[in-house]
Amino acid sequence: MTRWGMVIDLARCIGCNACTVACKIENGTPPDHYWARVYTEERGTFPDTKVTYVPALCNHCEDPPCVTVCPTGASYRRADGIVLVDRNKCIGCRACMMACPYSNRFFLRKRALKGGYYGERTVYEDAKWKWFVGGTVTKCTFCVHRVDKGLEPACVITCPTEARVFGDLADPESKPSVLIRKRNGKQPLPEMGTKPSVYYVE
Amino acid sequence: MCLHGCGIRVHVEDGVVTKIEGDPTNADNLGKLCPKGNAGMLRLYDPKRVKAPMVRTNPRKGPKEDPGWREISWDEAMDLVTEKLKPIRDTDPRKLVVASGDFQRIFNWAWPAAFGSPHFFSTVGQYCGAAYHPINGITDTSFAAVNDYEYCKYWLQVGAGDGFSSHLHLSGSAKRMADARMNGMRVVTVEPRMSPAAAKADEWVPIRPGTDRAFALGLMHSMVFEHKLYDAEFLRARTNAPYLIGTDGTYALSSDGKAMVWDVAVGRAREWDDPDISEIALEGRYEVNGAACATGFQLFLDILEGHTPERMETICTVPAATMRRLACELGEAAHIGETIVIEGKEYPYRPAAVNYYRGAIAHKDGGQDSMALKMINTLLGNIDVPGGHLGVPLDLRGFFIEPGEHGMLKPQPHILHPPVPFKFPADSLQMMEWFPLGMDAGHVAVDAILNPERYRLDYTPEVLLTYHSNPVWNMPAPDKVRRALGKFDYIISIDVVVNPTTEWADLILPDHTYLESTVAVSLEPPVVKGLALRQAVIPPLYDTRDATEILIDIAERCGFLDVWNGYLSFLLGLTVREDLVLAGDRKYSNEELIDRMCRAAYDDDHDLEWFKANGNMVTKRNAAETYLPYDGLRIPFYYETIKEAGIRLETQFQGTGYEWDTSAYVALPAWSDGPIHGDDAEYPLYAITFKTAETNFAETMSIPVISELTRGAAQTRGVLLNPSTARNYGIAEGDSIQIVSRFGHVEGKAALTEGVHPDVVAVGNAITGNGRKLGTHFNALLPSELEYTDIFSGALESVARVQVRKLAKEGAA
Repeated sequence: MTRWGMVIDLARCIGCNACTVACKIENGTPPDHYWARVYTEERGTFPDTKVTYVPALCNHCEDPPCVTVCPTGASYRRADGIVLVDRNKCIGCRACMMACPYSNRFFLRKRALKGGYYGERTVYEDAKWKWFVGGTVTKCTFCVHRVDKGLEPACVITCPTEARVFGDLADPESKPSVLIRKRNGKQPLPEMGTKPSVYYVE
Repeated sequence: MCLHGCGIRVHVEDGVVTKIEGDPTNADNLGKLCPKGNAGMLRLYDPKRVKAPMVRTNPRKGPKEDPGWREISWDEAMDLVTEKLKPIRDTDPRKLVVASGDFQRIFNWAWPAAFGSPHFFSTVGQYCGAAYHPINGITDTSFAAVNDYEYCKYWLQVGAGDGFSSHLHLSGSAKRMADARMNGMRVVTVEPRMSPAAAKADEWVPIRPGTDRAFALGLMHSMVFEHKLYDAEFLRARTNAPYLIGTDGTYALSSDGKAMVWDVAVGRAREWDDPDISEIALEGRYEVNGAACATGFQLFLDILEGHTPERMETICTVPAATMRRLACELGEAAHIGETIVIEGKEYPYRPAAVNYYRGAIAHKDGGQDSMALKMINTLLGNIDVPGGHLGVPLDLRGFFIEPGEHGMLKPQPHILHPPVPFKFPADSLQMMEWFPLGMDAGHVAVDAILNPERYRLDYTPEVLLTYHSNPVWNMPAPDKVRRALGKFDYIISIDVVVNPTTEWADLILPDHTYLESTVAVSLEPPVVKGLALRQAVIPPLYDTRDATEILIDIAERCGFLDVWNGYLSFLLGLTVREDLVLAGDRKYSNEELIDRMCRAAYDDDHDLEWFKANGNMVTKRNAAETYLPYDGLRIPFYYETIKEAGIRLETQFQGTGYEWDTSAYVALPAWSDGPIHGDDAEYPLYAITFKTAETNFAETMSIPVISELTRGAAQTRGVLLNPSTARNYGIAEGDSIQIVSRFGHVEGKAALTEGVHPDVVAVGNAITGNGRKLGTHFNALLPSELEYTDIFSGALESVARVQVRKLAKEGAA
């Protein structure tokens, strides 16, 4: 059985945020909803400073606490590992947001869909925002609409440095599986027991 | 939005543009796309777009005045334009001033020249490439330059974003750089700020702003005198380093007017091409025909001797030991003497190079900065060879290879437009007649409008036409720019959205956005060559017109269509085929022009229709086009061209009674303090500005997804200060601060980071304004006077000496 996953190569990432914007446009996410984003981590003191860019997205965990706590079954995990929210079942209780140790879920206020990015809705937002229901929780879908068509997520195809590698973790010869093996891929916060499908290599 | 024209594919659903992706068939960006490119369609749908021609109804102008825009028809608008411009064209075309900023339609930059207007009232490099392009053009006829992504193994990055955050074709360059790093290339980044290039480097070397030349000189001192790591054979055989130089700084010539070298074997000077030469001296002082002379390389050594790493450390703050170590690493990594065979031909192999750009050279002595950094590469023998520092041509035409004098490659300092002959007084407001090698310094035009007597102007400008340009935001000293705008009787703007300059306009002519218009593009692409088509993906949303057609229409109405067609034939490359040259009296549509441009570049099979179906003809340049394409001609080590131009300019000014400083015309770089160097008790800090990937050409800050992103980003959440510096001024994260220079002040929020030199106040261009409103507008800290301008190149000092202070909280005393 397929298990979709991603490896993020921190050595390649230059923190350019092409993924962040590609995600926003592909999914038409409203303001402040950053399903894909890049953190800048700074350590040390001048001149021995180190900076690491850490891209983040939903980890599509094998044991997703967000799914466990959801009282309505709106949050669910597909057989191929993609964790989604059924907008029609979500009641906006936000228990999943509390449960997610990675802050990868976003609450969409009803009024957020009124204004639009420019203060008034554009035809672009009219086209894109029909997917969203105010008062529900949104999250990264691994671009399931693309993956189901055999395409890679938007953040992957745009990445100028090819820092995001997508594929089937159940296949030991897939690009992400090989990368995890060769470069000792690590899951974020393994102590939480969530078994993320997103790995990082340094 | 950008000049570099990465290939894109656009999704249109029910007539709405919903997604932009990189085009995987384009060998330039290989399907990758930067954050700006991803967000481009929001410009299309910006509700603040100019939807029809508009005239202002409020005669009072200024940032606080509502122009009272009223929409009018195109016929009315064009009648107004004709009424203003035709009398000027017929009497004194110098009275029209144009500000151009549309890089993808760069051919339209020549429209003012066809009109008869010699001016440039915008930026075209004074903060970035003004000191870079002429040095590249003089060195190897290239426009830009970048290290060899494919073969370089040691990349010393100085004040540049190539491969990480900015400059030449970011999307593809970032991929090539990441691949090179993963294949073991070492990167060392010299910069005042922990930029992405510094963050990803194997080593970050912080430096005090505006002192990169001191670093370069200290490094070369160690390379040459201590490590003796330089390519003497390359210098002797492929450069003018051994040519004999007279006491006036120009070539010592034989009686036949030829440059000479010293033949050690016979102990006398010989003409450079004497077939009997046995051993050329690289160093030495000699006497030829009773006159003292020395090799260019000897003069370099003489200057370099005093530039010890210890002395340079006191200027640039990079420890002498670091300069020594980097000199050794770089020299050893260059594999001097080795060769490599590529595509069946043997080339020198020099896989170590210095890559530099605006941070290092946009300074008062930018020409010398640029020269010094380029000379590290020349010393290593890595110019245009595998692994080294490669020239990047401006466009399809490639390198402009012609034999010059004395066995040299003919220098091409002017790639954007032909040189402007000396004239006194000058016709152009930017005094281009007095910059024989440099680029148009638009800020000088502002100074000249405000101080006409200082520049001996013998006419008064009357009308300003801005074309995709925002001088209030993009030029230094914005208060002066506003005062200059106030001097014009009438201002016409061709643009897409209203910005801080167009709000001064009397008439706005709305252009299509890039997603509604068609043009073929090829601008300074590293690695690749070939046209890519930018084609309209939807019909225009509003009553807009293609800027190219607006300008053609004005040319017809003002009676110079034939002149403009002549220019266009040349600029679009149509002169290669007689049948494609434009008829003088015919008005062509934009698509007809682009069709001819494509056919002229290729053949009739590759016409506009072919490009509409297939997108691009972009391919990787082969080895013969990339490496030593001018093989057999020498390149300069000693920049005699510049010295000679300075001497000529001085002669030209003789008898005018006018003082024009020509001291910047030097053949070799040296350190001397400029106006921003040294101790300054009143203004102790150095303010710099920088670009991030999402804000290259930061007009895109008017795109809300981009501005939202920058607000939360580490480098652009505020004005960057080192915590130790902030402590000295009692400033904490998020505090409101004021930054004050001798020329102006700006306000912003403090953002503390260990990733910035303690002497520095760093203002990202994302916070300088959002395209419509000005924010922490860095340019307000800068001057626009000649005293801060490189008189050789036109570069402006882009670093300001400043003081910072915490602003009292609102409500406090």
